[in-house]
Amino acid sequence: MSLVFDQLRKRFGTVQALDGISFNVDPHQVFGFLGANGAGKTTAMRIALDILRADSGTVTWQGRDSTELPRRTWGYLPEERGLYPRMQVLDQLVFFASLYGIARGEARREALAWLARFRIPDYATRRAEELSKGNQQKVQFIAAILHDPEVLIMDEPFTGLDPVNVALLKQAFLEMRDRGKTIVFSTHQMEMAEELCDAVAIIDHGQLVVSGPTRDVKRESGKQMVRLAVADDADIPWLADVPGVHVTRPGRDYTELEVAQGIDPESVLEAARERGERVTLFEIADPTLEQIFVERVGAAPPSEEERTLAAPVAPGAGS
Amino acid sequence: MNLTARNAVIVARREYTWRVRSRTFVISTLLLMALGIAGAAAPILITLFVKNTAAQVGLYAPTASGQGSVSVDLAALLTANANPDPKNPSIVVVPVDDLDVARQEVVSGQLAGVLAVAPTGQPGEYGWTYYDNGSPFGQTKLRVQQTVNATAFQVRMLAAGLTPAQIVQASTPPEVSFEPADPSKTAGEGPSATGFGLGFGMTVIIFIAILVYGQWIAMSVAEEKSSRVMEVVLNAASPFQLLAGKVVGVGAVGFTQYAAVAVPALIVLLLQPTLESVILGTTGNASGPATELAAVLTPQLVIVFGAFFVLGFALYAVLYAGIASLVSRQEDLNPLIGPLTMVATLGYLLAAWTMAGLIVLPPAIVDLLSYVPFLSPYLMLARYAAGQAGDLEALIALVILAASTLVALWFAARLYSAGVLLYGQRPSVRNLIAILRSAG
Repeated sequence: MSLVFDQLRKRFGTVQALDGISFNVDPHQVFGFLGANGAGKTTAMRIALDILRADSGTVTWQGRDSTELPRRTWGYLPEERGLYPRMQVLDQLVFFASLYGIARGEARREALAWLARFRIPDYATRRAEELSKGNQQKVQFIAAILHDPEVLIMDEPFTGLDPVNVALLKQAFLEMRDRGKTIVFSTHQMEMAEELCDAVAIIDHGQLVVSGPTRDVKRESGKQMVRLAVADDADIPWLADVPGVHVTRPGRDYTELEVAQGIDPESVLEAARERGERVTLFEIADPTLEQIFVERVGAAPPSEEERTLAAPVAPGAGS
Repeated sequence: MNLTARNAVIVARREYTWRVRSRTFVISTLLLMALGIAGAAAPILITLFVKNTAAQVGLYAPTASGQGSVSVDLAALLTANANPDPKNPSIVVVPVDDLDVARQEVVSGQLAGVLAVAPTGQPGEYGWTYYDNGSPFGQTKLRVQQTVNATAFQVRMLAAGLTPAQIVQASTPPEVSFEPADPSKTAGEGPSATGFGLGFGMTVIIFIAILVYGQWIAMSVAEEKSSRVMEVVLNAASPFQLLAGKVVGVGAVGFTQYAAVAVPALIVLLLQPTLESVILGTTGNASGPATELAAVLTPQLVIVFGAFFVLGFALYAVLYAGIASLVSRQEDLNPLIGPLTMVATLGYLLAAWTMAGLIVLPPAIVDLLSYVPFLSPYLMLARYAAGQAGDLEALIALVILAASTLVALWFAARLYSAGVLLYGQRPSVRNLIAILRSAG
């Protein structure tokens, strides 16, 4: 039984944050929730967690309505991180866990183990405000999983982390999946979704654009991509003469092309050989999620800078 | 224990332990404790350090020779009139010979003042002049005026040929018997001065608790919102659990602080007679403030006070929390909770002023107002303590207060569940209505 979002609608004043969104998340999967700023991702997540109530529609997990599920079913990492600034890290982790019904002693042990794993064991007795942003985020992640929830809902979990911490968090993510957890996370980093997600949903302006297993979403687009590199020529100018081909990503390392439907991608390789080029890379690939996103939503997902500049306008109407 | 109660207790415990352990709390509590003990011991300390010296007042009365004046011992008369209790004189009359020297002594502080008496030529009539350094409070002046009044009256009587015994008889004030207008009441029952003072003190205690700890709750809610920890907590606990836990937790902190301040102070107060005899070496006054207090502080009054305290605090506290949930940043808090603080203050002032007689309202209005939930913790309590309201009236007011607190709790929980996720919007009345409608 899966996590089912069924016809969710939610309006904030004049803003239709969600306009009849439906999709399924299979259990034990990592599911990516993609959309531009203000698309309705946070609102959908908050409704799943019963922090907000939908105007209509339901969210069910294993057949039970989310409003009836025990709170400890869910682990939640909100986009706006928040800890009690003047409270010690360990104290607040134990506090959060005990709200979910975990015994204090057990919560303490688990919290200390996770802190050690995230390489911040010494910070247990520090006050949260003394920690760097990245370390606060790790504490926040621990707070979300300490009570061993079945479903993890994480809003932009990788934002603001350095590469070392991103790697640590990815590892933890995959371990959670291996432990049988279902993970839903929103992101605007398409490579991250590409790397981690078994399935994705893309939403735009409160409406579902596409959803399904990552591979199917890519194939359904009908796009054929070719990655090509030849020795001693990074520009490959003659590609403009090959019919049905257009360059989507020129690059020093390789050039990416889209091949029109009905044309065999192999024709690109043949054209290279005819010109006597020495091909060092030829790869027929699915389109990236980023390309699908651009094609379906119309613009590239917002950069991190744009995201931080955009102020929230209505409750829950954030991405 | 069900889930709601369990989570509310966990929230309350966090609120409590975190606050009680904080350095500001420990320091402020210790300071208040010291103040409380000092206040309770003040009467002893004052008698210990401030010698009760009577004010020295000079009397300049040149002999009115050859004017046919009655020879009167003015100094003796003035002394007697100034000090109704001869064992504990407050004014000592010192005859002086030179008015200018005496005035200089007043300026330099050796004398409190000089009373110059000049015969007018009429038998028994004098001109009275009092020289002093001027005091804004004028207590001595009032006493001098009263003393001179009585003395001048006696001198006139003497001049008219009355004997001292006749004068004493003529100036003895008659006894006035005060009876209640309500024929169903008998004299003696009803307002007592100690009960009045006690009720006044209790309203002050409730007022301070609402003001100080109510605002703590508001700040705590605003802090959770501005630090964005709210959303994390919200996934684990319902808004109602958060609200209840916060009110109970901060309320317990307030109670702890009160107990820490009140218990030592009360002990000192109760031990006052003993301490007095030990420190001052005098035998304690049997009818000291402690004994009077014990007589008025009946178990019923303690129960009624406790009920008004808890319910009154809860009423204001849940509203503080609900309103505070609407702000995004702590700076925005004050204008929003201002009106509630004003209601709390006005209620207190209304009770204090009405009881002290500073404003006179028709009894029916006062009666009615003391059932109003926001006012009853002050007004009904004060009237009950002073003996102006009975058990039944207090009970009815308490039932109304309890019902209103439940309504406020419902209202605040709704406000809270919508408000906690409201960021970046200025809370307006229209917004508020929309929130209350939409809140699940």
